[in-house]
Amino acid sequence: MHNIAHNTLEKLESMRQEALLGGGSQKIDDQHRKGKLTARERIDLLLDEGSFEEFDQLKTGRARPETGTREFPGDGVITGHGTIDGREVFVFSQDFTIMGGSLGEAHSQKICKVMDHAVRVGAPIIGLNDSGGARIQEGVESLAAYGEIFSRNVMASGVVPQISCIMGPCAGGAVYSPAITDFTFMVDQSSYMFVTGPNVVKTVTHQEISAEDLGGAAVHNQKSGVAHFALPNDILCLREVRRLINYLPSNNRQRPPIINLRDPAERVDPALDYLVPANPNQTYDMKILITSILDGAEFMEIHPHFARNIICGFGRLGGQTIGLIANQPAVLAGVLDSLASVKAARFVRFCDAFNIPLVCLEDVPGFMPGPEQEHGGIIRHGAKLLYAFVEATVPRLTVIIRKGYGGAYVVMNSKHIGCDINFAWPTAEIAVLGPKGAAEIIYRKEINESPDPAQTLARKTDEYRQMHANPFLAAKQGFIDDVILPHETRHRLIRSLQFLEGKQVNQPPRKHGNIPL
Amino acid sequence: MFEKILIANRGEIAIRIIQTCKKLGIKTVAVYSDIDSRSLHIREADEAVHLGPSASSASYLVKSKLIEAALAHQCQAIHPGYGFLSESASFAAEVVAAGLVFIGPSAQVVATMGDKIAAKNMAIRAGVPVVPGYNQALSDMGVITEKAAEIGYPILFKPAAGGGGRGMRIVHSPDQLASALQAAQDETRKAFGDDRIFLERFIENPRHIEVQIMADQHGRVISLGERECSIQRRYQKVIEESPSPAVDTVLRRQLGDMACSLATESGYTNAGTVEFILDQRGDFFFMEMNTRLQVEHPVTEMVTGLDLVELQLRVAAGEPLPLTQEEVKLNGWAIEARICAEDPCRSFLPSTGLVTRYARLRGDNVRLDSGIEAGSIVSVFYDSLLAKVAAWGQTREEARKSLVQALNRYHVEGVITNVDFANAILNHPAFIEGRMTTGFIEEHFDEGVSRLTPPREQLEAMVIAVTMVYHNRDNLMRESLKPMTAKVGSSPKSKGEHRYTVKGESDIFTVEFQGDAATGLWDFRIDGTAYRVSSPEFEFFRRRLRLEINNESQYFRLQYRQNFIWAAFCGISRIFEIYTPREWELAHYMPKEKTSMHSNELTSPLPGMVVGVLINQGERVYRGQDLVIIESMKMESGVSSPCDGIIESIRTKTGVAVETGDVLITFKT
Repeated sequence: MHNIAHNTLEKLESMRQEALLGGGSQKIDDQHRKGKLTARERIDLLLDEGSFEEFDQLKTGRARPETGTREFPGDGVITGHGTIDGREVFVFSQDFTIMGGSLGEAHSQKICKVMDHAVRVGAPIIGLNDSGGARIQEGVESLAAYGEIFSRNVMASGVVPQISCIMGPCAGGAVYSPAITDFTFMVDQSSYMFVTGPNVVKTVTHQEISAEDLGGAAVHNQKSGVAHFALPNDILCLREVRRLINYLPSNNRQRPPIINLRDPAERVDPALDYLVPANPNQTYDMKILITSILDGAEFMEIHPHFARNIICGFGRLGGQTIGLIANQPAVLAGVLDSLASVKAARFVRFCDAFNIPLVCLEDVPGFMPGPEQEHGGIIRHGAKLLYAFVEATVPRLTVIIRKGYGGAYVVMNSKHIGCDINFAWPTAEIAVLGPKGAAEIIYRKEINESPDPAQTLARKTDEYRQMHANPFLAAKQGFIDDVILPHETRHRLIRSLQFLEGKQVNQPPRKHGNIPL
Repeated sequence: MFEKILIANRGEIAIRIIQTCKKLGIKTVAVYSDIDSRSLHIREADEAVHLGPSASSASYLVKSKLIEAALAHQCQAIHPGYGFLSESASFAAEVVAAGLVFIGPSAQVVATMGDKIAAKNMAIRAGVPVVPGYNQALSDMGVITEKAAEIGYPILFKPAAGGGGRGMRIVHSPDQLASALQAAQDETRKAFGDDRIFLERFIENPRHIEVQIMADQHGRVISLGERECSIQRRYQKVIEESPSPAVDTVLRRQLGDMACSLATESGYTNAGTVEFILDQRGDFFFMEMNTRLQVEHPVTEMVTGLDLVELQLRVAAGEPLPLTQEEVKLNGWAIEARICAEDPCRSFLPSTGLVTRYARLRGDNVRLDSGIEAGSIVSVFYDSLLAKVAAWGQTREEARKSLVQALNRYHVEGVITNVDFANAILNHPAFIEGRMTTGFIEEHFDEGVSRLTPPREQLEAMVIAVTMVYHNRDNLMRESLKPMTAKVGSSPKSKGEHRYTVKGESDIFTVEFQGDAATGLWDFRIDGTAYRVSSPEFEFFRRRLRLEINNESQYFRLQYRQNFIWAAFCGISRIFEIYTPREWELAHYMPKEKTSMHSNELTSPLPGMVVGVLINQGERVYRGQDLVIIESMKMESGVSSPCDGIIESIRTKTGVAVETGDVLITFKT
């Protein structure tokens, strides 16, 4: 009796040891040599020390001797739950050392199990992707397995935060899981994402391109916008995930966490009174304002390298997480174009889904003109941002810093589309279009008939600027709740968030709206 | 005494003058250009007059506008400050012609001292030693050989025509003379069509010593001790002190007497500075006389207890000097650091922008003369001097330590300054020992960084500071999230002892500590060295942290840079990476930082005006090749390509004003 029990324990121990070794020490060394950590090391760094509880360590796929595959405990993915600064999260981490982290039926079932748990208990899902793709040996079953994951990604969307880290290859159908999740991190130089790889590209289009140039971290963070963050290595990537999680509620029924960084609500910043240059043609850096007003000057920017004419990211005001959307006058004058609209729209919808108040810092000269934008569908794309703001029921604040012109003024979370409090700095200019453009139209006849049209235009432009390019006309109408002193911006925003804590909006029942995708 | 004066200057010196005027009950009129319309000096003054566009040639240098403004506002005198028109003889003359008082010496003296030859001759007449040389231009080899032997080697050739160092040659011995002369003459003939040169003794590695004098209109001249300003970078003084460690009582009296007799000889009135160089043998020679209040006057004020601006005003108003030479008492030591908006890591290029955060300095024996505040705009138009920080002590070492502490907590954000560079100088062993020459910076610094490894103790103090901030912020985060964690079970107790590995550039530190934020008491061990640390309540929006380390108060400037923390302390400025033991175990697998996030665009590294575009669209360029020339603060600098590639588009053109970060060129790579 004693021996049997003892043998069983030993057997478990040896099975565990086998599982922990993954694809073997040789493969682990290969992984390290590429500058990558193993699936288990990654989990270890992501979660609080000793908090990881693993599921399905002993689950295996079906061996297919005819294709030369064998059973591996865990089937190439490690799944389970653990905590990040005390809060539970669910995690799956693909193990590249086992069959290249390829996704088969059992592998997928393990992922689906943690996803189901996550949705039921309301905790974030973090996927650490490092996989060669579908397990070809399993054929259609592996495709079906992807489908199971995609469906769960969609069902979990807006219920719990979903985060993807691309820490190795992620190709073919596999890309669509990260694509649906809320935020995608990529590790520079060791990760890539594409629907079809360089070999197929070469066969089909005869273009030669490297994996890095086709779908590396730089491409997806700067050009495609597929990824939201690029980090130089695994360690920093995992730290950054922890940092992001700390801004978010665990699910859509929670409010975001309150983190007290001991930054007084009434702190004033005298430098802000001088931020907007006196010369209307001179730009300034919106990030100065952002870091000034946020708690502890901490700002986690989303998409920092993509569509930089709009800034999106998380910060805290009075301890509460806010989603911040700001035009960046230092890039393309802060104009709204297609990419900026889409970038901000998706961010606004994430915040709304997870009860994160929106704060909009506005300095927008308008939508980007030109055939490229028009033919590229700026109407459709701009409408997404409009739709996202109107739909949002979280507390919504706007501060107009300088320009608020035309349709872009309306779209950028204006009073007319439901923002709760719209402040303006004294430097704000709210009008249908810029003073020069307006003067040209209104006084066209007078200008053309004058002896010196250029001078008349300049005079009329100046007159228009004096009359209309200010926040006071809008304040008279009540479109602006108050014209505030720049240095008190932080305090005024926090006071507004305080009274908006109890905001509730009832909406008519519907299946879902039809955002112009 | 005057009732109202106009201050024909800006920045810290305008504010400095206004302060004394307030003390004496004199009303002040400030002047400003477009870009200065919201500057601090305007708010300090009683009245302000707009001069014109931002360029100083259209504002602060327009004599007629200044004089008109002074007259229109019923001023009786104009104080020129330093720089701008302070040493313009014609301005001094015009001011007087307009019936106003020029607060400075007479136009004639200004003119004399502004002319190198005239000044030198004046010095010779006053019996002040000048650098041995021959005061006529020569081109004949024979005469040159003969005169060189009389003057003594090493000899400096200075071309009679032109300037800017062209044709200058140093000759160490007679056998080098012929070839050096040939080369020098070839060069000056080509450049200026003139092969005549002056001969002068070349003074190797001298010290720069200057004497402050003050003269009234009644013939009394006093000297107020010397200042040593040997620490210079391209003839710009960085650190100044009074007295000089190289001057003893005997030499001081000698220098003072020389300076006074030069002033008497020239009929000098008001404040002036006689500059000498002191060679390695202890011989001193007259260099020039500055006919204005100097930037570094605060150190003299701190050791004499006098207000030089007040003396200037009294003397200009015709009052006699209120004290005699015997009544001048020098007490203790004062050292000053000039804080400029320039980036030591990028060849001291000017830095501009909005001052987003600014920490004033208070404290006994510390003096701050500042022209900026949070919200000030630092532009390309004027001198990069933002402020001066000075400290006083009974001894030189006491003053130095006090200044180091002051600079440790002097925080300017938004524009890059030389504050850590200045502090690094103050912490350099050669400076501590008083071993200085005008070659100090070239000798001891490379691209603004000291060639010495920083002392381990200072690095460890920084490690304590960054670890404390990192650890406590982390803890606060965890504490704040407690209400959102599972209620089942109890959360694991935090360990008593914390461990981190901290990496600062190539230095690695193993840090172990115990303690907690509630008591603020911590026991640190860094690689075995124990420290007792007491911390305040952490407020993470602050950029300054004061810690008591082994019972000594230390200030650090810190800033989170994503996951890393930048820190500055005692002239050391570094980014520290902090790793938990688990992270550190795996850190060696991480690839060497190599990023593909390279930019395919060239951005302007500095604000200024594009004065040349050296390439065309479609051209192939290589990394390091100069593509655009930008002029900033009268300096042209080449902006080089960050990569190999083909020019896709040129987004700028000659004559366009650019800001830091503006895209100039995009590449196809």
